[in-house]
Amino acid sequence: MKIAEPLQIAIDEFSKLPSIGKKTAQRLAIHILKKGKDEVDSFVNAVKDLKTKLRFCSRCFNLSVGELCEICKSGKRDHTLICVVEEASDVIAIEKTNEFHGVYHVLGGVLSPLSGIGPDDLKIKELIKRFENEEFKEIILAINPDTEGETTILYLSKLLKPLGVKISRIARGLPVGGDLEFADEATIGRAVIGRIEI
Amino acid sequence: MDRMNLLNLHLKNFRRHKETNLTFSNKLNFIVGANGAGKTTILESIYYLCTNKNFNTRTDNEAISFGEDNFEVEGTIKELTESKIRVYYSLTENKKFYFRNKKKISRSVDIIGSFPIVTLTPTDLSITKGFPSDRRKFIDSILSQASKTYLINLLDYNRTLKQRSSLLFLLKENNSEKSNDELEAWNEKLIQGGLYLIEKRQRFINDFKTFVEDSYIEIMESKETPEVIYSFLESDGKKTNNIEKKFRDLLKIKEDEEKRRIANLVGPHKDDFIFLIDNVDLKKYGSQGQHKTFQIALRFAEFFYLKQLTGKTPIFLLDDVFGKLDSKRAQKISNYLRKVGQAFITVTDLADFSFLDINNEDTIIKVNEGVVEYA
Repeated sequence: MKIAEPLQIAIDEFSKLPSIGKKTAQRLAIHILKKGKDEVDSFVNAVKDLKTKLRFCSRCFNLSVGELCEICKSGKRDHTLICVVEEASDVIAIEKTNEFHGVYHVLGGVLSPLSGIGPDDLKIKELIKRFENEEFKEIILAINPDTEGETTILYLSKLLKPLGVKISRIARGLPVGGDLEFADEATIGRAVIGRIEI
Repeated sequence: MDRMNLLNLHLKNFRRHKETNLTFSNKLNFIVGANGAGKTTILESIYYLCTNKNFNTRTDNEAISFGEDNFEVEGTIKELTESKIRVYYSLTENKKFYFRNKKKISRSVDIIGSFPIVTLTPTDLSITKGFPSDRRKFIDSILSQASKTYLINLLDYNRTLKQRSSLLFLLKENNSEKSNDELEAWNEKLIQGGLYLIEKRQRFINDFKTFVEDSYIEIMESKETPEVIYSFLESDGKKTNNIEKKFRDLLKIKEDEEKRRIANLVGPHKDDFIFLIDNVDLKKYGSQGQHKTFQIALRFAEFFYLKQLTGKTPIFLLDDVFGKLDSKRAQKISNYLRKVGQAFITVTDLADFSFLDINNEDTIIKVNEGVVEYA
């Protein structure tokens, strides 16, 4: 059976989204078909606004409404403390903790020759350039500790060392409220290696 | 020390076994049948239960009965409590599912090592006669079953190799100088991950040596002394004091060649293990009998090493081991097996093996064209 073209197009578009398969795409498209016009309009606008009203902060490459993001503009943040992350979603994750009051720099990924991503594809030059105009006391590398993330940390630390700023990386270890007994061995192993003096 | 036993097994559409149900002895289980009857298939299915992998590195779809589109292996493993394991493979989806007590487990690091398993099969001759990669696979499989951390680091190291060779390719393509910083970062990652593996393998071989000696004496009862030497970073087994420096130096020396050949030439993925009998290189000068004995000693050593380290008694699979041995040696091995606990042994004809000393605690299973009966 041939599906009406507009429906087929909608299904195809939905199924391009991450973790959405053909079946889910069809369910979503039909669901929208059943909605009132106002609801659909507000949904469409929300999606459109993502592209038209949001941009990347020209300083830290976080998501932003204006030229500079709210964090870069804020006078309440500690502008001498900078946290380097992979993606804007990591900024959201760290912000939710309310534990960090410095500023950010979003790399836009990690080094991965297999996917053709090298230093020039990341906002690394931009990070170095920030040292010309801003004064940092400490730089925190909050990058995922997987193969590519670890290598990116190694790359950055070598690049940043001559700048004479304190470099740290976020600790790897046990989740809060986690029971040592039930954590997986690799996590415990890393937590032991990365122990801190008290 | 925890006992670990496989209580029963259910096979569906697994090679010649349309539908097979078995219960096992916690001592020796003899699986008897002609060639092609489906004996090894039973061992293969037990290996699936413990590792979610095929033990002859064949593909999953080969294990399906002809004309069917899925297979299923189920079994109960008893430690202090019983675990029900189920492996289901669907040909149409080309997907395999692993369940422990009805809970799906998807990461191999969460499966491997939970139920340690040791296999002794005719393909083991590649361990003493084959390539360095065969020996690394043997050693890595022991270490991975003994330590999840090792397995995670090994997977991370392999990923690093993939990324690094991909970068070497890009460097050759673009011929750009500035990417050297990038290569340096991957070198650091390679060294970090590589040093971990080397250190663990070094420590392992030190412990493992005595297990090999013990097993060898048990089988041979002669004065021959076996030895295992770990050769890393082109050391040929010689002592290296500063491993990190050696690693860095070699990387420097080989840099141009690596770039030219687009290949990772330095690191533990090039390691080898040398087996000696009375200080003579087995690979070069060993007789057929010595090779065979060494292979068997290595597997028994693996068994007792894993037993001591994990505190669990591994399941022992022996495929067609007695066929090519003289009766005196075979008798020794059969006596040795009594110390193991539960084992699964395939033989073509029990009449040839009167020395096996089978008693009523053992189970004899006859297999004929995928149909089983108890003797």
